Amino acid sequence: MASTSYTLFSLCSSFNAHCKISPTPSVSKPLAFTKPNFSSSFNLPQKLCFSSSPSLPQSATVPKVSQIDAPAVAESEPESPPAATQIVEVAKEEAPKREEIFAVVMVGGRQYIVIPGRFLYVQRLKGTNVNDKIALNKVLLVGTKTTTYIGKPVVTNAVVHAVVEEQGLNKKVIVFKYKKKKNYRRNIGHRQPNTRIRITGITGFENYPAVTLDSIAKSS
Amino acid sequence: MNKKEILKLAKGFRGRAKNCIRIARERVEKALQYSYRDRRTKKRDMRSLWIQRISAGTRSCDMQVHYGHFMHGLKKENIQLNRKVLSEISMHEPYSFKALVDISREAFPGNRHIYHRPRKVDMSITA
Repeated sequence: MASTSYTLFSLCSSFNAHCKISPTPSVSKPLAFTKPNFSSSFNLPQKLCFSSSPSLPQSATVPKVSQIDAPAVAESEPESPPAATQIVEVAKEEAPKREEIFAVVMVGGRQYIVIPGRFLYVQRLKGTNVNDKIALNKVLLVGTKTTTYIGKPVVTNAVVHAVVEEQGLNKKVIVFKYKKKKNYRRNIGHRQPNTRIRITGITGFENYPAVTLDSIAKSS
Repeated sequence: MNKKEILKLAKGFRGRAKNCIRIARERVEKALQYSYRDRRTKKRDMRSLWIQRISAGTRSCDMQVHYGHFMHGLKKENIQLNRKVLSEISMHEPYSFKALVDISREAFPGNRHIYHRPRKVDMSITA
């Protein structure tokens, strides 16, 4: 399933010569979940089916993907080699550095692993409008490359800032109830309202007792 | 539901069930009943999967901890991460997960008396 995301990238670059390959495309895959791996070994995590967790190709792999796929793209379309090389350069420059930090936040009764720059579908937040800035206060864990802040239960003063992007509905679910030999059938469609929020930053966790990599390495 | 909608839902079915409306109607009704039931069982299956993953993660640390003891230690420390997030952390953030396992070991005294089984070494290749 990781290979399909790479082919998506190569298709984008080959068919649309003028599209900028941004690190956060708005193609949403609500049923799969991947995360960048901050530990030293670079393993591609398996995509899993979870509800309500967005998945986007890893930002760290965006330049690598474009480097790997660009020669394939150039070979497959010999009629536009200058366009392919131009896209490779654009892709290398376009991928900005994302902060390597993640947090576990509780929204709408559910917990999500959250990274700045990505979006997330949560239960409908009443009373918010599009382009509202939101501060999520229930931050249960914050992790950076070297330290982890484990909240008991909440990391005090930690805030996850987000912006409401869109308030829509989930995909339709058909609720079909049927009892055999009793002539009872009910057919109901259901669309759960949701809100898409984009995470802009994670702050406020610095003054919390943390667990650092060195202490873990010593204790193991 | 009219015929068009039923045949649209019957895509991918085997044999005449995808083409002929009389057979497709039965199969589609069955499929919708299964999906109603399985939307509930999916939640159970997922939780069981997360528990298996967390258990594997705790046992893969150097100082092994059982899943039950691990969760008990976390609850004692008032860490309210749920199993879904714990399983994700155990897969993708090994150092954070190790920190959680250490916290649980400290919190729950029963963790110290764990018998560490000697790791089995594969002897089949030696000539």
